[in-house]
Amino acid sequence: MEAAALPVRNQSGYYEIRLESIGGLGANLCGKMLGELGLHYLGLNSVSFSSYGSEKTGTPVKAYIRYCDMDKEIRVHSPVTQPHLLGIFHEALMTDSTILDGCRPETKIVINTEMDSREAVSTRNQSVMGTIYYVPAQRIAIETHSRINVVMLGAMAKVMGFVPLKALNEICEHALGRKYPDALAGNLEGIRRGYEEVTCGKEGTKDSEQAKEEQKKQCGEDREQGKQTQNVWGYETAPIGGINPRYGSSVISDLSPSRQGYIPVFIQERCINCGLCDSTCPDMVFQFQKGEYKGREMMVNRGLDYYHCKGCLRCVEVCPVQALVKGLEAEHPRKEWFVPNQELLRSPDYYEKAGPDGYITSESFLTEKRMEGGEV
Amino acid sequence: MEEQVMEYASGNEMAAIAVRQIGYDLMGYYPITPSTQIAENLDLMRAEGTTDLIMIAAEGEHSAAGICYGASVGGGRVFNATSANGLLYALEQFPVQSGTRYPMVMNVACRTVSGPLSIKGDHSDIMYMLNTGWLIFFAHTAQEVYDFNLIALRLAEEVRLPAIVAFDGFFTSHQKRRCYRFAKEEQVRDFIGEKREPYPFFDFEHPITVGSYMNEPDLINNRYQMHMAMEEARKKVPDLLREYGERSGREYREWEGYRHEDADTLLILLGSSFDTAQEAVDRMREEGKKVGLLTLHMLRPFPAKELYENCRHAKNILVADRQDSYGAGGGNLSLEVRAAMQKYGGTARIKSMVYGLGGKDFYVEDAIYMLEWAEAAESPDFSYYGTTPGTGEGQEQKPFFAPLTREKTRLDTENLTLNATTAMPKRLAPGHGACPGCGIPVNLNLLLRAIQSPVVLLFQTGCGMIVTTPYPRTSFKVPYLHNLFQNGAATLSGLAELCYRKQRQGEIPKGDIVFIMVSGDGGMDIGMGSALGTALRGHRLLLFEYDNGGYMNTGYQLSYSTPKGARSSTSHVGKQQYGKTFFHKDMPQIMAAANIPYVATAAESNPTDFMKKAAMAAEYAKTCGVAYLKALSACPLNWNDKPATERSVISAAVDSCFFPLYEVEEGKTRLSYDPEKTGKKIPILDWLAMMGRTKHLQKEEYSDIVEELQIEVDRRFACLKAKSEHPFL
Repeated sequence: MEAAALPVRNQSGYYEIRLESIGGLGANLCGKMLGELGLHYLGLNSVSFSSYGSEKTGTPVKAYIRYCDMDKEIRVHSPVTQPHLLGIFHEALMTDSTILDGCRPETKIVINTEMDSREAVSTRNQSVMGTIYYVPAQRIAIETHSRINVVMLGAMAKVMGFVPLKALNEICEHALGRKYPDALAGNLEGIRRGYEEVTCGKEGTKDSEQAKEEQKKQCGEDREQGKQTQNVWGYETAPIGGINPRYGSSVISDLSPSRQGYIPVFIQERCINCGLCDSTCPDMVFQFQKGEYKGREMMVNRGLDYYHCKGCLRCVEVCPVQALVKGLEAEHPRKEWFVPNQELLRSPDYYEKAGPDGYITSESFLTEKRMEGGEV
Repeated sequence: MEEQVMEYASGNEMAAIAVRQIGYDLMGYYPITPSTQIAENLDLMRAEGTTDLIMIAAEGEHSAAGICYGASVGGGRVFNATSANGLLYALEQFPVQSGTRYPMVMNVACRTVSGPLSIKGDHSDIMYMLNTGWLIFFAHTAQEVYDFNLIALRLAEEVRLPAIVAFDGFFTSHQKRRCYRFAKEEQVRDFIGEKREPYPFFDFEHPITVGSYMNEPDLINNRYQMHMAMEEARKKVPDLLREYGERSGREYREWEGYRHEDADTLLILLGSSFDTAQEAVDRMREEGKKVGLLTLHMLRPFPAKELYENCRHAKNILVADRQDSYGAGGGNLSLEVRAAMQKYGGTARIKSMVYGLGGKDFYVEDAIYMLEWAEAAESPDFSYYGTTPGTGEGQEQKPFFAPLTREKTRLDTENLTLNATTAMPKRLAPGHGACPGCGIPVNLNLLLRAIQSPVVLLFQTGCGMIVTTPYPRTSFKVPYLHNLFQNGAATLSGLAELCYRKQRQGEIPKGDIVFIMVSGDGGMDIGMGSALGTALRGHRLLLFEYDNGGYMNTGYQLSYSTPKGARSSTSHVGKQQYGKTFFHKDMPQIMAAANIPYVATAAESNPTDFMKKAAMAAEYAKTCGVAYLKALSACPLNWNDKPATERSVISAAVDSCFFPLYEVEEGKTRLSYDPEKTGKKIPILDWLAMMGRTKHLQKEEYSDIVEELQIEVDRRFACLKAKSEHPFL
């Protein structure tokens, strides 16, 4: 096997990749496939690992891959901070400024985004260092009955420039074909279309200072504000023993990134205030207040606090009168029934975007199985 | 050199491969991150038929160690893998294993010891093993994990001491990289050799007694024999490593250096940091700095002489520890290095630095900082690296919520309807990190909305605890305490008793506070003893179990409540295995047998019934004794079904009688809902077919498993019915 020629290397001699994703999109498996690809199909020594959190649905996930020449050992064990290739599996992640940390002029950034929103993403990140590439991975995955991760794999391989499509097909056949032969054709098609349909957007800016400034401005306004008001506990200021007196403080987490495009839409005139929604909601989203319904004093449903709604749609399923229906979030940018949590004494100074907790470590084989296109 | 095969694998995977190739007889284990994958990989191999290893999922690490001990006394080759608090929970068993001289191998994927709970990697667990009489190998690469597993077993059997192969949790256990292994099992087995038992246990013509009661003239001799065995191991190691090198092409010594021969300044560290730091050494050498590195492959026996010989020329030595022996002025490695250097007359200035706790990443720049620190004449002898003082800003944050005073949690009505109870302020704030559709918060809210008294919550380790208290945030608006899940009930007993004392002294109104322990079904496995002890003692408190039928917090390993036949990451489905092999535990009946005043089961699909039972349980807990309430709790991620439809899955579990709704009040059983009577009973398979984890049971080949489960479920329900119909049952 003739070894692939790495186009760039860092000081340590590695070509480095970072994947930024949300649990459920298969970045962990994609990272593993890229690692295996290096060693078994490209003639490169390679390492792959993920951020040590679970692939819980909706959790932020990072994966790291390092390549170098076969005769060299990969000694560094720490995460990739300055990637040559950055794969962003979900457009929503672009709102977090840290996603683009460590980008340099030579960084290639591949984003999963729809053609329609490409313009928006492009505007938003005009000062990102590096070159941005786009691939509508979600749509391709749906059309080919494959998964976002294989489409991204195809797109990233093309952008890397040293990975032939043939090698991708081989690893896909090897990794998925034997276990899930039914899903193979779709996955191969997904890879091919990712490879072929990824397009270069625009060159990023080369000026690092300007880029950093604008990045801060554009991406993380609420985050930056948050930093100002949030107390940073350290050994001089934190209560001893890890004691946490800030009761109820998880309320500042904005869990909207956990949603996968759908929200419960509330049609108040249909609501009979039975309270079933509140009994099935894991996220304390429903806001009931004392009021009047059909001439009787009772608790009345005023609406939902979407900061904490993870889009599970349990409420839609139990509502006996279709006062809650499944809706596309994109079609409801302004939700007039959005009611902030009524128990709050004061509104949080900011809401911090958070997925479900990425603190737990596991690689559920069931999740993996789904990633691999196996039966759910 | 014998034929080798390349693998792209993690440390955990290489450990599993070694176990398979060695052909162990038995593994006793309990899942704990980050070592769990070893058992998961082996279970997958079992399901596929590539190993016939007996795997026993114990109900806790202490039992796992006991299972291993028994099997090794029986003459088997025995393996275990654990981490952190799991290791500590089993600690008392390890000197038994070594003191009675039964060899086995345990892998430790090192992780920080709680609390506060953290799952990430450091070396605070493994250092507890230094005084147990086990041989301890430390691997800094996935390759070494494989190699040391082979070497450790051979050495353990030769000197009759158990052995540990330790390595970094995550950095080594989870990173996948290029490794090599022997091509064939025979090569591995030939290296290790036949197992010999000097005193075969099952020889009925020569029966032996293992585990004597020993007094002072003798015990010291037993310990001296252990010392002699360690010294014998020390002598054997060089030849053993040489032989292994000849066979595998990978030759090791008890230590490993990097550009250390002429170094003025040496950094000594354990684990994966040794590799990362090599990059730093190369960069500093380019600047002309004479720096180098050293690591140890063995902690027991401690290669003091070899260490000295390789350090004696250095002027400055910094030992960086991923743990601290608090108050000793360094972590254990640095203390032992100091002792070794002193013993042989070393003159280098030795400093200690504690770094990387709780899995804090270690970058090349960190290693450069450490080497410069070691060189600097003015730097102190002991330091922590990577701490932050914090800022005072925002210290006096105003609370987000009003405190939940007694008035706030009092409902206007006696009528516990869903509508009326929406007025109950939630004891948990939103913004927790549970998966979309998770049943845990649903069940907690159903429990708490019916309880009007002040509540004190204690959570045992589990998803419910992890997702609600990610520092520096917490979801709790009421007093909350966590303890590890083998001990929550006991902890709550102590907490409650102190409150009663204050009540007697008039500081708190009597009969006012409800003490609630919240546990998953996993916590009710490992913590069953503690819960039963608490039940038998009769403290006034409530034990609430959310049962999602698996250890979901660590990636869904089987629990004793997992339905028979269900797929999990320690009960794979394959040619040789159909999923979990034994029936689900009946915890409510176990609790009922403890004769506590109130036992009940509840399901979110019957919310009004749930709230009534919650209120009843709280009343008993306040005034009478232990109440136990159990709710079936959905886990969309691992049940592998849709988050939106979980309530109907729960409903089907109830209708199939897998999860019957009933209460046992002061010994009298009452069915809350009888699907047979209402004609709603469904076959168990209808429920199993709703979940990805049990879907496979629909196949014809598993029909006898389903039938067995159906018979068992029907039998248990018939028993309940009989009990409900007869006052003495």
